[in-house]
Amino acid sequence: METVFGIVVDGIAYGMILFIISVGLSVTLGLMRVVNLAHSAFAMIGGYTASYAIQSLGFGYAGALILAIVVTVLISLPLERLLYRRLYGVENELPQVLLTIGLAFMVVATMNIIFGPTLKQIPLPELLSGPVSLGPKIISAHRIFVIGMGVATILGLWALLEKTDFGIRLRAAVDDPKMAAALGIKTETLYAATFALGSGLAALGGVLGAELLPLEPYYAIRYIVILLAVVAVGGAGSILGSVAASLALGILDTGAKYLFPNFGDFFFYGALVLILFRWPNGFFDKRAA
Amino acid sequence: MTRNLRKALLGAVFTVALGMGTADAGTIKVGVIGPMSGPFALSGLTFKEGVEVYQAQHGKTVGGDTIEFIYKDLDAANPAQSKALAQELIVKDKVAFLAGFYFTPDALAVAPLIDEAKIPAVIFNAATSAITEKSPFFVRTSFTLWQNTVPLANYVASGGSKTVVTAVSDYGPGIDAETAFKATFEKAGGKIAESIRMPVAATDFAAFMQRIKDSNADALFAFLPAGPTAVTFVKQFSDNGLRQKMKFFSTGDLVMEPDLPALGEPALGLVTSFHYSAAHKSAANQAFLAKHKEMFGNNDKVTFTTVDAYDGAHVIYKMVEATKGKSDGVKQIAAIKGMKWESPRGPVMIDPDSRHLVQNVYLRTLEKVDGKYQNTEVTIVADQPDFGYKR
Amino acid sequence: MTGKGALIDQMGVALVAVLGVAAFFVFPEDLGFMTRIAATALYVLSLDLILGYGGIPSMGQAALFGAGAYAAGIASIRLVQDPIVLLGIGGVVGGLVALVTGTLILRARGLTLLMLTIAVGEIVREVVNKARDYTGGSDGLGGVSAAPVFGTFRFDMYGRTGYLFALTVLVIGILVARRIVRSPFGLACRGVKEDPLRVVALGGRPRRYLIVMYGISGVFAGVAGAVTAVTSGIVGLDSVSFSWSAEALVMLVLGGAGRLCGAIIGTVGFMTIHHILSAADPFRWMLVIGAMLVAIVLFVPGGIVAVLDPAIARFRKRAEAKR
Repeated sequence: METVFGIVVDGIAYGMILFIISVGLSVTLGLMRVVNLAHSAFAMIGGYTASYAIQSLGFGYAGALILAIVVTVLISLPLERLLYRRLYGVENELPQVLLTIGLAFMVVATMNIIFGPTLKQIPLPELLSGPVSLGPKIISAHRIFVIGMGVATILGLWALLEKTDFGIRLRAAVDDPKMAAALGIKTETLYAATFALGSGLAALGGVLGAELLPLEPYYAIRYIVILLAVVAVGGAGSILGSVAASLALGILDTGAKYLFPNFGDFFFYGALVLILFRWPNGFFDKRAA
Repeated sequence: MTRNLRKALLGAVFTVALGMGTADAGTIKVGVIGPMSGPFALSGLTFKEGVEVYQAQHGKTVGGDTIEFIYKDLDAANPAQSKALAQELIVKDKVAFLAGFYFTPDALAVAPLIDEAKIPAVIFNAATSAITEKSPFFVRTSFTLWQNTVPLANYVASGGSKTVVTAVSDYGPGIDAETAFKATFEKAGGKIAESIRMPVAATDFAAFMQRIKDSNADALFAFLPAGPTAVTFVKQFSDNGLRQKMKFFSTGDLVMEPDLPALGEPALGLVTSFHYSAAHKSAANQAFLAKHKEMFGNNDKVTFTTVDAYDGAHVIYKMVEATKGKSDGVKQIAAIKGMKWESPRGPVMIDPDSRHLVQNVYLRTLEKVDGKYQNTEVTIVADQPDFGYKR
Repeated sequence: MTGKGALIDQMGVALVAVLGVAAFFVFPEDLGFMTRIAATALYVLSLDLILGYGGIPSMGQAALFGAGAYAAGIASIRLVQDPIVLLGIGGVVGGLVALVTGTLILRARGLTLLMLTIAVGEIVREVVNKARDYTGGSDGLGGVSAAPVFGTFRFDMYGRTGYLFALTVLVIGILVARRIVRSPFGLACRGVKEDPLRVVALGGRPRRYLIVMYGISGVFAGVAGAVTAVTSGIVGLDSVSFSWSAEALVMLVLGGAGRLCGAIIGTVGFMTIHHILSAADPFRWMLVIGAMLVAIVLFVPGGIVAVLDPAIARFRKRAEAKR
């Protein structure tokens, strides 16, 4: 029992990171219909910025976190304007895949040229480091913080979508873009704002997740596969789907590693194939969300 | 400059005309293959620094021939790429020696090439015992997992731990470490509770920590290749509260010197076995550290790979000396068999049989001395051979 | 295949053969590298069959390549050494893996299909990694050795035999691929890519066409893997990795998907740039390749071939005028 509890807690912490990073990808795919393989690059930009801010500029953890989000959003906006906008609504995925892979390559190269090709650390503040007892399970304080931030993100997004004007327009545009445009919703501004939100969250996830997904030179390319898996399983454009898929895959991955330490990846991807057979459009088709 | 160039060109012409590898053209090239970029870039850098310190201390020429080191980047374990690079170095750059090799697969891949070209390859790191069996032209100046693990397993057994859980990276050296520990520890009367193999690419160890905990063993023995993931492993051991529950032993790979500031407090007291600590007290090590500091500003990056490459350069110099600069791999290898010298790590000797070093293995404790973390050598286990050779 | 584009395709095969042989004499020191280009070109060609002619964006092509490479490698250690038989084994195994996985995954579309191709790739990688006794796991499968070609030409360290062998296989591969894409079956696949509903209306079975095309693509990829195994003497886990799949996609689109010579031009361009730039610093290479990809999508969606076509058409016009 204690073991199951332990695995579930670790899996949830991992799943929350996946959720925070991938929710932006899911929304871009559902709303703008862009397969954005450069999405993990935004998490990388965020993580690298925070690491640099703490280690070389003397920022605190919270300050670095905010700076990372701001910098990433500022970088992502012109990219949306100049590159992504041309891809919106393109039927064929291929140009999207290629342009965004190209962009991911460029981000990886730029980060390494600027910051050097080593593993980047984000030192945790005193408060977040070290072990904490959680019932029968001892877990690092950082993971509890991660789970808390994940829950806060879910609630924040829910409030944003359900309670604000922006949310109503966003949901309308996801459900029926033509109708939304006809009703006078400025899709351009809406898309740009959504894109900025997604990349900002990716940056947040990149910083928070540095302990689980280390900030290594090929970060943007290495982790895009798992993010795509989350979106494919969750269903494009569905927040609820992203939450469910992230937690499911997080727990599945941790559990597979525990039960079959030597065959972890094998079971993970095997299960992924089975899930995609059962739910070819993901747990939640976007119209159901 | 022009004279040298002409000499080199003339030499090249003669070399081609005679259909030989490298003749005494004034420059003898050594091709170093290592991770110069990517997550293990630090290790590639230490290779380079070790070689440069040696050249600064002993000059760049041997008997009139300039020794030139050429570095080729191989950022991750990739045997096919390693072989392609080695082929290019031999065929195009006409190197007389190969060197470097951080990962075992990369070293194994070049065995047929050095057999065909008859040129020596000096391994600066790759630590699976079987490598030197694959070609008579391999020489190794680092360590093997068997060499470092056997003394540690005996120490753990004598220290009162009855059951041990092992956790290793799932590839050549990891399996060597697991086998060596198990064989030695069981022979000494201990019991292995569980053997866990983790993917080499794993970055999160939460699930493995849970498994280690559930094994209820007295102690953990772990091996991961030195680098970023090893740091994460040690941290997560502490974060999951396992420090209070069991003892933790490993080879020194997990606590390489440049990582110590990042590891910090969670690693204090960790007992490891290894062939070199930057805190080793000897005149040779002091001279080595002083020269390194003079060249690079500080000793923060000095670690076992620096010294392994430093000694590798020494072996290459001796081989050049043995044939007076002529390219003759068979003679060169014969010349260094049984060679003894005083390395910064302590006294070493090349075992004529395995072409691997016989050296001291030190049991160290991680301590904070004058505000800096270091691996303090506590016990010396003298003249250890590679226990895994032809096993 | 009409109008100005046709000429480059007609001349293509002869051009590859002539330039390939010329390169043998011009760059005698780079044969190892050029051998890899030739084998990779065949691999990228295999992706072109499924992507350019079937419209399936696969990011798991390395699974097929690797299956062929490991099959040939293991066979050479345990069964036979004849290089041509080894190529056959690689092709058959690559094709079988493609047929089995294709039957399973080709019912999906869009992102789900993309994800499934990745997942299949990762599963194959994991199987190869765990079957250490056969594949050598992460140590790589060393000691792959093929007998001399036709019992006469030994695979030497300088790569002379290896290069000519790989080049010959590539040229034959292009000829066969050309026959396939111009056959009624090839045209039917193209029809599926452009308008699946119309194919159904005409009595065709789109999914079956795609599965067969995927199988053929698997044979090509498997042969390419076997060529790599035989000429390099080693097979590593990188040959079944995600990045190797992604690189194939990048090379293909750089050259121009849906055109056989696009695969060749893309491979040669990509690998040459890689070879020159990555010697200095791998990240500068990534920056250049990344920028090229972005530029191609934005400005020349047809790839390098599309840039070359007008120039060749002009050349032809001038030649005709002279006549």
